Amino acid sequence: MSAIADTASPTAPRDRARAARRKGQRDTRMAYLLLLPYLVLLIMFGVFPVAYAFGLSFVDTIENAFYGLANYEFVFNDFRVPAAAVNVLWFVVIWVAMTMVGVATLSLMLDSVGRKTATTLRTIYFLPGAVTSSAVVVLWLFLLDPGVSPFQGLLHAAGWTYSIDVITGIGLAGVFALMAYFSSSGGWIVVFGGALSSLPTEVMEAARVDGANRFQLAIRIKLPMIWRSLVLMGILSFAAGLQLFVEPQLMQLAGPQSAQNDWSLNQMAFQYAFRMGDFGASAALSTMLVSTSIIIALVIVFATRFYKID
Amino acid sequence: MADARTPPFRLNLGRFVVYAVLLFAVCFYGIPLLWLLLAGTRSQASLFADPPFTLGTWDSFIATWNNLTTYNNFQIVNWAMNSLIYSVGGVALSLIASIPAGYALAASEFRGRKLILVVTLIAMITPSTAVVLPIFLEMNLLGLNNSYAGLILASGFFPFGVYLTYVYFSTSLPKGVMDSARIDGANRFELFTRIALPLARPIVALVAFFSFIGIWSNYFLAFVLLSDDKLYNLPVGLTVLISTSGALSNLPANDVPIKKPEVILAAILVILPVLLIFIVAQRFVRSGTLSGAEKG
Repeated sequence: MSAIADTASPTAPRDRARAARRKGQRDTRMAYLLLLPYLVLLIMFGVFPVAYAFGLSFVDTIENAFYGLANYEFVFNDFRVPAAAVNVLWFVVIWVAMTMVGVATLSLMLDSVGRKTATTLRTIYFLPGAVTSSAVVVLWLFLLDPGVSPFQGLLHAAGWTYSIDVITGIGLAGVFALMAYFSSSGGWIVVFGGALSSLPTEVMEAARVDGANRFQLAIRIKLPMIWRSLVLMGILSFAAGLQLFVEPQLMQLAGPQSAQNDWSLNQMAFQYAFRMGDFGASAALSTMLVSTSIIIALVIVFATRFYKID
Repeated sequence: MADARTPPFRLNLGRFVVYAVLLFAVCFYGIPLLWLLLAGTRSQASLFADPPFTLGTWDSFIATWNNLTTYNNFQIVNWAMNSLIYSVGGVALSLIASIPAGYALAASEFRGRKLILVVTLIAMITPSTAVVLPIFLEMNLLGLNNSYAGLILASGFFPFGVYLTYVYFSTSLPKGVMDSARIDGANRFELFTRIALPLARPIVALVAFFSFIGIWSNYFLAFVLLSDDKLYNLPVGLTVLISTSGALSNLPANDVPIKKPEVILAAILVILPVLLIFIVAQRFVRSGTLSGAEKG
């Protein structure tokens, strides 16, 4: 009796611990089995390309030898790169400003009119989101052509006769910002429509009782409540805007005189790889672009804690 | 709902400004789309001569349609099929990868979970355009560029889908049901297939929606990875049509049958599937985009 008790009491917790550990291991194995397809893709198209480009950026890919920082030096000494950086910054500043002001204004205004009107208008604002990538550039090349544009009255009034007049008149950064705003802002207006309609009604009621009019309600109560999400939208747009490629790349569709082959940074990385066959220089510029995006992502994840990860 | 306190409709300055701005926005967002859909029915001559919102004739629409579809041995039909293959393949792969992964991250505790979550978030926030050239460099190494498999594999990687699934299962998995199923002897894999998957229908639709839109309209990755014009998708094909015909450049006429109406019709083909899905599923955008982002 006592012998059994003596042997049982010290082993029982150990057994339990071992069983728990085994269960834990089984859980871990099962989790990784379920994660396997995703992890393969994550490594193939997330981790590996970034690491590979980083490694390649230190290699002279034409002579196949270690190159130190020479690729970076080459990129920085290419006079087109700082010019492209300035172009992209202008584009980003205009686009992010348009997006923040436009989306906030339209969302708040829609929240102050009747529900049916708001729903219909929101759908109209949202549908251009279907016009993306190459189609948005093609559509806007028509819209900016005074010969065929539905806005031709406006364009003629501004004294523009040909597309090239319109494009130089507005400026390329502004043209690309218009294209990007046209297709990306409606989705956000829908999102903020949802966010605004879920704000607590007691607060609105209280403010109204205190005599706040629609304008004060929008600026003093609603705007501060969606401010964080607006900032998130701004940061995400900023990060996406730095990677601009499609819009300038496709300007050549309007004819050789409109071609802009080295307007943005991503275009320069493309030029290095495809026109010059210099994968090392391409990798160096890509690495800098990806690093900027990753730093922005880290700030969003750890400093602002917008997304929940537990 | 009309109650006595509702003031009678008065057009004061504030209201006027609100409606004026909203109407201006209707023009900005609505006119281009309306014009595009109408212009697809018009002839080249009508595009220049008639007022912008003229509806074309049935004959001119059919002529445009025939010019576009038969051009270069039904090339655009081939591109549309390719777009379908890339989209179906890519959406299927993104679902196969993200639904189980999001479930595993939400339903179990294991070593490395936090790391995978953080890396997933970073991959999701990093714009996909940032890794296009690195992916090209890698595919070049692996010999996978210029193939259906390469583009499908690359577009199946969809960290946003994993995160959406993770958020969905973290909030909607009934703990009681899971526990009693476990007591009834269901193993871990059965818990996933019998309990989680039947619950997953809404999240499958949501992930498929976002993944389809991204893949269908993907230009940059397809443009960089594909060099054989038989493999192009519609967004890349659209630009090839324009650059080979010079249809947008207002240069002297040539005998390529691709003019402005054909280009407009091709652009409509590119956007139509997404447009139709948007009309049906606008609410998905609302429930998906900020999901998991903390309120306020």
